[in-house]
Amino acid sequence: MNWFQYVFAGWFVYVALIVFVGGLIWQIVKWRRVAKSRIVMGMFPKPAGLGARSAKMLKDTFFFPWVLDYSKSIWLFAGAFHLAGLLMFVGHLRLIHEFTPLVAWLGASGMDQFAFLTGGAFGIVLTVALIYLLLRRFGTPYKDLSVPEDYLLLILLLLIVTMGNHLRFFGTVHVTDYRDYVMSLLTFKPAFNAAILSSNVPWSLTTHVMLACAFLIYFPFSKLVHSIGAFATNLVRSE
Amino acid sequence: MTPEANARAELLQLIDSKMNRTLKYYLDTCVRCAICKDACHQYVATGDVLYLPAYRAELIRRIYKKYMTGSGRLLPKLFEGRDPEDDVLLDELYKTTYACTSCRRCMFWCPFSIDTSWVLAVAKALLLATGRGSEILTQLADSAIDKGKNIDLYTGVIREVLKGSEEEMRRIVQDPSAGFVYDKQGADVLYVALAGTHTILPAAIVFHQAGEDWTLSSFEGSNYGYFLGDTVKAKAIAQRIVDEAKTLGVKEIVMSECGHAHRVMRDFYRMWAKEELPAPMVSILSKVDGYIKDGRIKVTPGKITEPVTYHDPCQIGRNFGLFEEPRNVVRATCSDFRDMTPNRQKQWCCGGGGGLVAETEFDDVRLKSGRLKADQIKATGAKILVTPCENCRLQIESLNDHYDLGVRVSAVLDLVVEAIEIKPR
Ligand code: SF4
Ligand code: SF4
Repeated sequence: MNWFQYVFAGWFVYVALIVFVGGLIWQIVKWRRVAKSRIVMGMFPKPAGLGARSAKMLKDTFFFPWVLDYSKSIWLFAGAFHLAGLLMFVGHLRLIHEFTPLVAWLGASGMDQFAFLTGGAFGIVLTVALIYLLLRRFGTPYKDLSVPEDYLLLILLLLIVTMGNHLRFFGTVHVTDYRDYVMSLLTFKPAFNAAILSSNVPWSLTTHVMLACAFLIYFPFSKLVHSIGAFATNLVRSE
Repeated sequence: MTPEANARAELLQLIDSKMNRTLKYYLDTCVRCAICKDACHQYVATGDVLYLPAYRAELIRRIYKKYMTGSGRLLPKLFEGRDPEDDVLLDELYKTTYACTSCRRCMFWCPFSIDTSWVLAVAKALLLATGRGSEILTQLADSAIDKGKNIDLYTGVIREVLKGSEEEMRRIVQDPSAGFVYDKQGADVLYVALAGTHTILPAAIVFHQAGEDWTLSSFEGSNYGYFLGDTVKAKAIAQRIVDEAKTLGVKEIVMSECGHAHRVMRDFYRMWAKEELPAPMVSILSKVDGYIKDGRIKVTPGKITEPVTYHDPCQIGRNFGLFEEPRNVVRATCSDFRDMTPNRQKQWCCGGGGGLVAETEFDDVRLKSGRLKADQIKATGAKILVTPCENCRLQIESLNDHYDLGVRVSAVLDLVVEAIEIKPR
């Protein structure tokens, strides 16, 4: 690892994780410190009782049924985008620990193939969805509503996904070598092993990690807090 | 501090004082996806971004971001941060805030259920603080407060004017002793009407027939302080009724067919006054539905044969929760009931709420945005349009002319009186 890789694919990761977790906690504390509204702001018809309300809130948050009602294509795009993002995150956990039950079922090479197909597919879905969301912002009336943050986040994500796609489709490195790298991070001795260093990915891997860290750092201070705010606001809906 | 900096600090402090936890959630959570755009009748009818719900809230969000969040303070450009005293911003804010009918259709479709109209309550406070409150709404609110202070000067005249209506009531119910009941200590029901006997006479007939122990409030339920966004004035206006209910010791405050008055009494008063109502507030619609069900009044089924349709006022349906009660009543009186599509919680706002029917400066957007309702009404082929909100009725009357709908606009109680079987008492 050269110094740039050591800083941005190494120590930056720790900074990012601390800021991400700390920032989200801080955001929640900030919300909770503001007095609650004295007025009930829910809309009808609404279920009664916290159980039924929470069930509705979870359904509204995870499936956004009203959006489906409004436009099937937006629902599909938004749904595919979020789902692919989530599954992509889950897939990355393989870099911490192999999904052993799956390997037992599919066999080692079957697992690699499975990862290639799913990871590749999600990567493409994310790329297409991000380009769509970005282009959409340049049209009327979205451009008048958008602020630089909206473009910045989409471009950032697009770059992260593009680098990921490079690693996935053009990289010559095997998963075990990436796992070595993640292990080096977990043991606080960030390093690329010889296989990575001699491959065609150090630049894209470093950029991928660096931008992902920037994304994590910005996350708690951006509109991305909708990922937690949604639970609260959708609960208010049935207040 | 310079005077400008001082003024800005004061405005920011005002905005901060209006914040509650839910509002912060709203301001931090919106992703500017614009899914709300097609929910707003004003945006759909005009295509003007000024009326896009999220854009309305965004004007406040840009101030909030720049001055009340760490990221915005650090990088205001990232959020297009704005200043609270910015004239261009305030001009836009005025147009979009006082145009909003608070129908909360945008909240219904937003994936995060963001209540734009609630964010605009902050906008109204900011507009008032910068001397930009709606003039006509201010006048109307002030005169209502003035009436509260000098009620003795008013009651004599008003009751004199209502004598003719009482005469009509006696004729209809065939009871020479019938009349409007005033100042009745310990009555079960305090009936809060609107200005004008058209909201008193039908209710008086129904109460008489149901044998209700009622008394008429000296005050009207409508509250222009609420539309204005001035919580002090709004509270003072609602307080008149609350004080009256306390003095008379009534068991229920029954609200006439007026949308925002329902919400003001049940939901907002307790926030403004930080106290509960002295008696529960009940809608006249629930009352009448109950009278019919319990057989306290009898209506001739299918008496009205012309096709009837029903408009859900936003403040009675989506925002108050009465969907079936008024329909039950209407259905009991007519033989050809036709619902509009969409209806109930998804219904289109008529475009006249938020005090718009009183503010001529918004006539253009009001009439344009009413097109959606007009089309819905036309599609039913109904000859009678019933709706239990005065603002909706005024707006639909106006759409009737503008879009040539050829319907008769009626309140729910008007139909009841048409179909009621008078039993002499
Ligand atoms: S639908 Fe909700 S989140 Fe989307 S722009 Fe409108 S208010 Fe914001
Ligand atoms: S409350 Fe109604 S009028 Fe106001 S922005 Fe939302 S949809 Fe439009």
